[in-house]
Amino acid sequence: MTAVSRCFCLLVAVSIASAQGVATRNAQAAARGAPSGRPFLATFTDEAAAAGLTAPITVGNPDAKSYIIEANGTGLAALDFDNDGWVDLFVVNSSRLEGFPKSPAPVSRLYRNLGNRKFKDVTASSGVGRAGWGNGVCAGDIDNDGDEDLYVTYWGPNSLFRNSGDGKFEETAAALGVAGPEKEWSSGCTFLDYDRDGRLDLFVTSYQRFDPATTPPPGKSSNCEWKGMPVFCGPRGLPYGSATLYHQRESGVFEDVSKSAGIAGAGSFYAFTPIAADLNGDGWTDIYFASDSTPSMLFRNEKNGKFREIGTETGVAFNEHGFEQGGMGVGVGDYDRDGLLDLVKTNFAGDHPNLYRNSGGGIFEDAVLSAGLAVNPQYVGWGVALVDLDNDGWQDILQVNGHVYPELDREKRAETYRQPRLVYRNLGGGKFEDVSTLAGPGIAATHSSRGAAFADFDNDGDIDVAVMNMGEPPSLLINALPPGSKWIKVMVQGVRSNRSAIGAVVTVEAGGSKQTLPVLSQSSFLSQSESRLHFGLGSAARADRILVRWPSGQMEQFPGAPAGSTLRLEEGGGSPP
Amino acid sequence: MTLLLAALLMQSAAALSEQAMAAAQNGNPIEAERLWRAAIRADPKSYPALFNYGLFLHRGARGGEAVEYLDRAAALEPGYQVHLLRGMNFQKLDRREDTIRAWRDALAFQPRNLKLMQVLSIEYSKGRYFHEAAAITREALKLQPDAENLYLIAIKAHDDAGEEEQAAELSAAAVARFPSSARAQFEHGFYLQKRGDTAQALVHLSKAMELDPRYEESFFFYGDLLVKQGKWNEALEPLKKSLAIRPEYSPARVALARALMNLNQLPAAVAELEQAAKLDPHNAQPWVMLSQVYFRMGDEDRARQAKETSVRLRRENPEVLEAAQARPFPAN
Repeated sequence: MTAVSRCFCLLVAVSIASAQGVATRNAQAAARGAPSGRPFLATFTDEAAAAGLTAPITVGNPDAKSYIIEANGTGLAALDFDNDGWVDLFVVNSSRLEGFPKSPAPVSRLYRNLGNRKFKDVTASSGVGRAGWGNGVCAGDIDNDGDEDLYVTYWGPNSLFRNSGDGKFEETAAALGVAGPEKEWSSGCTFLDYDRDGRLDLFVTSYQRFDPATTPPPGKSSNCEWKGMPVFCGPRGLPYGSATLYHQRESGVFEDVSKSAGIAGAGSFYAFTPIAADLNGDGWTDIYFASDSTPSMLFRNEKNGKFREIGTETGVAFNEHGFEQGGMGVGVGDYDRDGLLDLVKTNFAGDHPNLYRNSGGGIFEDAVLSAGLAVNPQYVGWGVALVDLDNDGWQDILQVNGHVYPELDREKRAETYRQPRLVYRNLGGGKFEDVSTLAGPGIAATHSSRGAAFADFDNDGDIDVAVMNMGEPPSLLINALPPGSKWIKVMVQGVRSNRSAIGAVVTVEAGGSKQTLPVLSQSSFLSQSESRLHFGLGSAARADRILVRWPSGQMEQFPGAPAGSTLRLEEGGGSPP
Repeated sequence: MTLLLAALLMQSAAALSEQAMAAAQNGNPIEAERLWRAAIRADPKSYPALFNYGLFLHRGARGGEAVEYLDRAAALEPGYQVHLLRGMNFQKLDRREDTIRAWRDALAFQPRNLKLMQVLSIEYSKGRYFHEAAAITREALKLQPDAENLYLIAIKAHDDAGEEEQAAELSAAAVARFPSSARAQFEHGFYLQKRGDTAQALVHLSKAMELDPRYEESFFFYGDLLVKQGKWNEALEPLKKSLAIRPEYSPARVALARALMNLNQLPAAVAELEQAAKLDPHNAQPWVMLSQVYFRMGDEDRARQAKETSVRLRRENPEVLEAAQARPFPAN
């Protein structure tokens, strides 16, 4: 036994020093700043049912998703299709894999705003009620005839509904060359005039080339699990999507110029929401889109019919550590009132959104941490916008959320499929605070939401929101901001530029400060918000001056107007600044 | 020869085992092995012979052969030492589950053996039994609540187990109990910054920097937090200090480059990023940032090349992007 004790001195020296590092990947909620104590007066109530927005939106099996296509949801469009001054609503519907053998397939719906917080379903009479696996929508006046046309993306050929001006639309995608490939799962779209010829061109993103026959079933590989739970596969491991740029010729027919314009082959991505705006302030419309689990892309307009992809170079492709993110939706605005367009992008759970502050020349720095927006990483974010919700003159953020795995609810996990919405009030000085708990029952309500379209649906001077909910009717979040707040709305109409003035940048000067907003086609998540621009004026009684940088490159100034005005500014009607 | 053999057979197995030990100590392993084998033949149930022969084989890098003898010894006389040795032998053979079982058996005989608890905790962690590792370190802490090192091991075990809340609580307890420990101050600061409590994190990281000016992690995390707050100028000094201590610390170079880039000190940022890229050649992040710096310098061609390198690295090393920033965790 002596030998036993003699040899034992060796034993306990084993490998204490071989401990490993600690991972820091799953983003944690940052500490919230001390509440500002300032009242937040914008409160939202869901009035969809009373307004007549009752048709549910079908996207795959509501209880369990076998394929990723069942999870991503759809967008909506807020547009005044009949030019009566009231913003109408188009809701993209989708489908399910087994089809509808015993009942009519659901169709996308157009609701006409009757002006008293009531909507009338005019789907059948308008001709936009196509069934199919719909995804995104964007609006623009493609033929410069004074009314807005609609482009709707599908898994399969896309639709271009040309507005005839009499309440009816005509499906023209194939005839005008923008239907796209048969098998493509198109997601986003945006109209833009990239070559300043006064005619709207079209940019379409595709999430992937989806084929259920070649897509593995849930749980099949490491790309088909979520925290140990078998779920649908992807997007990683599945074929990438693509981006297509269509140029509109003088004849009104579109031509795919993706290759010659430098769009095709720009990278490997699962693309969602594109936005078209002049992000570097050079007077030409650029394109940015959020990508899921792959780098987001920024195409700078080279002013010669070509684009150069510079997302990585300018800081908007990844998060601050160079990690790919699950990008979904994009909002554009000027939250720090420096006249430069900033971006807010929503991402998957376990991550923060991005608040890309434009530091000049189209170079961005993600300010999400210093801005106080990194406080809710538990949600999967989708539709989003930089909008002044309380008319205090600072652009706030409203974000809608919802997880992609309904199975979570069955497993009784901390994460839930249905999630509340979020409202961040802009405090100025580059800081935001989460005021979701102060923003009314429409914000607190839980749904699995995707698209969100922002508009003043009841024309009372504040921003309301239409929200797409998976497997449910949409929400119509009416903002009950008390009367007396000050605002101005600006509608811009191109003459040399495209008539929708998509790509214009409008700056309102009021009370010694400046606010800037772009005229966008698609933004948020696969959605189209109202093209009238809304500016809260804070305590200013009037807007002093309005500056417009038109898509044609022309700069004009227009005289201001008292608070409560809705101005229609036509290109050429102003004076040089 | 016949006489010698007869004499050997007459000796007890225990005596033979003692002779074998002596032979082993005298540098005669062949004789030692012959004697142990003879001892076991003489008495197959001789615990000393089985144990010591097993130990001899284990130390002679013949762990596979040792298993049988040590298992037989353990079956005859289960006890702390034989199970501990079995665990060591299994560990050497990379049989983690057997190692854990053997050491768990050893712990049953010495349930207050803190060193064994530490070792077992680490083995659990290596086998990704993180919850078990955390549980055993909590037990160890109950036994010896004044051991700073145990706090550190327990913090890591909880963190590994995904129990960040508990890890953070332990770091708070550690800093309360050992306020003059740089490491405890660092751990607490680390978890505060993970929770986003920047102001308090900076306080504790600053204390850690004061208490141990040779621990680069405190300087790095302090500087990195300032970078995240956009306090570029203030971030420079702590990050440079971190790099003075550990020049090969790539994440610190990247953080410093970010601060320099935002201070428009672009050539200096390039130099840091080029160093970081050399230090961590599979990581795309320095190249992503190089792309941004070159772009700001107006050199779009180099910006594009750097971007393409980042794309290639990401494709070739997807696990590098998935792996988060790690920090060393010296628990000794």
